[in-house]
Amino acid sequence: MFWSRVISGEAGEASILQAMGRLPSYHALMTKLTLYSRLTRTGHGAVQWLIEWWRLVHLGAVLLVLTLSPSSYSAESRGVLARHIYLNTAPILLGFTVLCALVTVVITRIVLVTALSYGLSQYALQVVIRVLVLELIPLTAALFVALRCTIPDGAELTAMQASGELDDMRRRGIDPVRREVLPRVVAGMFSGITLAALSSLVALVVAYVVGYGFTVSGMAAYTRLFGQVFSPAVTLIFVLKTLLFCLAVSLIPMASALYGMRGASVRTSAEMRGLVRMFAVILLIEVASLVGNYY
Amino acid sequence: MSSLHDPLPPQPAPPVEPEASLQSAAASTAQVASLEFKARLLLVFMLLLLCGSALYVLYARGAFEATQKLVLMADDSEGVVIGMDLTFSGFPIGRVRRIELAEDGKARILVDVAAKDAHWLRTSSVFTLVRGIVGSTNIRAYSGILTDPALPDGAVRSVLQGDASAEIPRVISAAKELIENLNALTGSSGSVGTSLANLQILTTRLNGPGGALTVLLGSEQEAKKIILTLDRANALLTKLDGLAAKADTQMFGEKGVMPETRATIVQLNTLLGEAHTSLKKVDAVLLDAQAVSGNVKDATADLGALRGEVDANLRKIESLVNEINRKWPFARDTEIKLP
Repeated sequence: MFWSRVISGEAGEASILQAMGRLPSYHALMTKLTLYSRLTRTGHGAVQWLIEWWRLVHLGAVLLVLTLSPSSYSAESRGVLARHIYLNTAPILLGFTVLCALVTVVITRIVLVTALSYGLSQYALQVVIRVLVLELIPLTAALFVALRCTIPDGAELTAMQASGELDDMRRRGIDPVRREVLPRVVAGMFSGITLAALSSLVALVVAYVVGYGFTVSGMAAYTRLFGQVFSPAVTLIFVLKTLLFCLAVSLIPMASALYGMRGASVRTSAEMRGLVRMFAVILLIEVASLVGNYY
Repeated sequence: MSSLHDPLPPQPAPPVEPEASLQSAAASTAQVASLEFKARLLLVFMLLLLCGSALYVLYARGAFEATQKLVLMADDSEGVVIGMDLTFSGFPIGRVRRIELAEDGKARILVDVAAKDAHWLRTSSVFTLVRGIVGSTNIRAYSGILTDPALPDGAVRSVLQGDASAEIPRVISAAKELIENLNALTGSSGSVGTSLANLQILTTRLNGPGGALTVLLGSEQEAKKIILTLDRANALLTKLDGLAAKADTQMFGEKGVMPETRATIVQLNTLLGEAHTSLKKVDAVLLDAQAVSGNVKDATADLGALRGEVDANLRKIESLVNEINRKWPFARDTEIKLP
């Protein structure tokens, strides 16, 4: 009973020392205590980790159901959703697209010149499409959306949670997940997908212009090249990757805001942990997509 | 874990009034004019982008083009991947749709040829599968006779395979053989080694007594013989020299052959002068003879004139007789007797 209290942290330091005085070997006891406390801490950490991930998955599932259910799109909800979608996407769309176009010009030029110097110019545009459209743009779009929209949205939600606004809503019978979280997640996903699609299009056009110049005669060859890169498996992986990236950057900051507040002791590191988790998930998706594409 | 040992309690977030939040939301909504319309516009834009991209991918994969099938049979499908091009004169006209193992153990490469480009393939077309050392494998079609009948749909053709990398082992084995031969040549028992040894013996002999003569004749004794022969030839030449001096005296001395010959030539000259004078006399005689013949010629010319005159007289007499005949037409005897 006593050790269970020690493990659970309920036993005070004085009582532990008192108990230690009654024991025959001090060093043996200390060793056991350290081991037990370490094991306990690891166990707690693992359970906490599992719980957090489960909450994340659960929230994702709930949001998916809510997204697909027509009742979420009442007139009032539509207004909120429209506001979030517009404010999350429109201000960053042009800037990100221009940035992507510039990066594409530079990278395409570098790849073309390098490939030409090795006598492999026939593979240059294929490399550009693979590197830019398949790998870089979805990742960059997701990170851009995370930094500009979903992390500030998460912080907003954290502030609402801290001020008790969400609890107020619950008391008034309004589901805060449906009212506040769903529009933000949907807007984040929408923004990510739009940015990725538009930037991919712009990158393709810019790569074509850099490669062939302002002429349409290379269109057939370019389309064929594009078709060779985008085999069904690669296309599926690309679509899934983009969707999962957008989901990760939209969902994880919201989940951190909603559930990070529960344990008051870890409140200060909740946002940071949410960010780390988000980057870890993005990394995992990227690695999985690379494995799927190239193995 | 630092938060657990943090002496300060965590700072609570600044309280946000629910009303204020709602007001700010309302204000931001008001700030964006015709928000829902713009949001819908964005939504439509995104849907268009996605649909357009999907259609472009389908188009690029050849989903909308009419195709005809072509089955290529290859011994080995290594390097052939689904989606790779079948090229004709460098232009892609078809793409590999499927690769499967045939019942006879060969690889069946199913190619979709675009219907608009299918006319390049004829029944006599040849298909090759070429694997380069660098770069991907290429399937190429060659049509030598474009007037042959077009290749039917679903035609089965075998592929000629050319593999640059397959040549490497053969080249390596040939190079190895060459190196072994070189080793055998340059070894101590090889012909090059033997030649070098002989060359060494040769140079030793060249440097030794007798020198090149020993090398040429095989032994020193023979070389000595040659030297002896040379000495004798020298003595002979000295004798010949004396002989030549004597012959010179005989030929060109005061009473030699040459002065006498010269006197003979002088006499011959005198004889020739006399002969010349005789010839001049003959010439004068000949001139006289020519004058005589000229006179004869003139006489002959005079004879011609005389004959002409006789002829004229005869004609006159004939005309006279004719006239008499005309004046005496009854005369039976028309013959006129000339005096």
